[in-house]
Amino acid sequence: MFKLILYLLGLAVIVALAIKLMGPRLNNRTKMGLEPYLFILPVLTLLVLLFGYPLLNSFIMAFENYKLTAPNDIYFNGADNFKKLFSDRDIRLVIKNSFIYVITAVSGQFLLGMTLALALRKKFPGRGLYQSIVFLPWAFSAFVIGIMFRWSFNGEYGVVNDLLLKLGAIKEQIAWLGTPGLSLLVVILAMIWMGVPFFAIMYLAALQSIPADIYEAADIDGCGVIRKFFLITIPYIKPTIIMTLLLRTIWIFNSFDLIVVITGGGPASSSQTLPSYMYTRAFASYDFGLASALGILLIAMLGLYSVVFLSATKYNKAGDF
Amino acid sequence: MSPRIKRFFGGLLRVVVLTLFLLAVVLPIYWMAITSFKTNPEIINAQRLTYWPEIFTTENYIALFRLFNYGELLKNSLVVSASTGICVTLLSILGGYGLARYKFRGKDAMLLFFLVTQMIPGILVIIPLYVILSQMGLINTHVGLFIYYLIANLPFCVVTMRSFFERIPYSLEEAARVDGCTKYQSLWRIVLPIMFPGIVAVFVFAFIGAWNELIAGTIFISTAEKWTIPVGLKSLIGKYNVQWGVLMAGGVLALLPTAIMFACMQKFVVEGLTAGAVKE
Repeated sequence: MFKLILYLLGLAVIVALAIKLMGPRLNNRTKMGLEPYLFILPVLTLLVLLFGYPLLNSFIMAFENYKLTAPNDIYFNGADNFKKLFSDRDIRLVIKNSFIYVITAVSGQFLLGMTLALALRKKFPGRGLYQSIVFLPWAFSAFVIGIMFRWSFNGEYGVVNDLLLKLGAIKEQIAWLGTPGLSLLVVILAMIWMGVPFFAIMYLAALQSIPADIYEAADIDGCGVIRKFFLITIPYIKPTIIMTLLLRTIWIFNSFDLIVVITGGGPASSSQTLPSYMYTRAFASYDFGLASALGILLIAMLGLYSVVFLSATKYNKAGDF
Repeated sequence: MSPRIKRFFGGLLRVVVLTLFLLAVVLPIYWMAITSFKTNPEIINAQRLTYWPEIFTTENYIALFRLFNYGELLKNSLVVSASTGICVTLLSILGGYGLARYKFRGKDAMLLFFLVTQMIPGILVIIPLYVILSQMGLINTHVGLFIYYLIANLPFCVVTMRSFFERIPYSLEEAARVDGCTKYQSLWRIVLPIMFPGIVAVFVFAFIGAWNELIAGTIFISTAEKWTIPVGLKSLIGKYNVQWGVLMAGGVLALLPTAIMFACMQKFVVEGLTAGAVKE
């Protein structure tokens, strides 16, 4: 309770300071100035109380000895959680996995989504029906997709092994989910399957907003298909590409329900990523302090990534997603 | 190559690509559905996998209903998802309108704040929220779960709604005002009816977001009679033994509502997803 009051007071001070700093300019239009805030107030209040406050707690917990099993033994312990975190023998593996998982899943979704969008660009009979089938995975829950892939890649009774055997691609059954490396691959494949529709939907809409006469002009100038793609299409939909890549990279990085359902992080942490590891550590030992420290590490990485990505792509309209 | 041959190969390539995508989407779903109608000995016959059930059976579905009070799971999921959908939609209409129609101090900061909330891993909020909800006595209740789904879906939906409002010319509202409507009448009678597709899209986002969520569900809800569908089905995955037939039957039933919803409202959903990304 004390923390909540402190948090609200701190927030009030920041807002008051901000208003004071730009006071004279706001006073001139106070009458118009208050109305928009009334519209946004409900949303903002909810997010500040139920999103901001827990988040602040997370930051505090990261520097505390906070074990849910010992609620009377909570105290600040400086950077102990972080020390414990970096001496963890799995942490390097988990960070490496996170990178492999994010990079392959994002590039897979991006390339396949773009291909699908390009193929859907021209009208053909039945396109509406085709779209409602191919875009379906967007509406599926990660849980169901997870069990679907877990079952298909089952070592003994899985359809994937059976098909590969029949095609002669493999000689004997592969234990997909029991082999380090391969289990993460199955998670990545499921993630790609789940995310291609989103990319395709976004790029299809962006493609359809390109005026046709630009292509006609390029045709007259004798531009080939490939040059048209790289000189007209890509530059035209670049803002969409940047925003989808940024948001989806973060989203994929953060999402771990597929890992929980398909592999449970196994065998032996070989398919854990940072967030799934955080989840496992938090609810296996109820050491929320350590888990929060992991969370801080996660946010730092994401923040760094966003800044680097946005400045590398020279995109400054981040607020406009 | 002459243009005609070129066009022929281009068309052929397109057909091949589209067919491959269709197969990639349909085959896993087919495999799940077909497994759910097989008898258990047929499912775990490693010698001979069947691609069509030899004996067509509904025993997995019957077993599913015997294991769970499936009606109860369905009701729980519906209650939580529908309340999330309705509340998020109402709040998004307010917030989206404010963000679309006014210029005010701190607007950019607010938009950035919404973007930043999208970057924060859910689990980082779930863990402290777990502590807070336990202190408030809201752990293991649908209210607690609803609170998380509300804040998890709100930022994206507000920004989406804002894009929908921005597409409607302000002159329309002014015209209504000239004809004697008050500000709120013009919003209620003119703008919202035109906004209908956007409102549907936002509702579907929030509903499906809550319906599909697994992690917060497993953490916040501990007693079986309060489980939502994914949380209940997850309990079927034991450490060593998985009843695949029953699990697949559960998967099929869990997919049906969202799949039907999506198929019917695909147009709105696509518009909603792309509203913010593509400026016309």
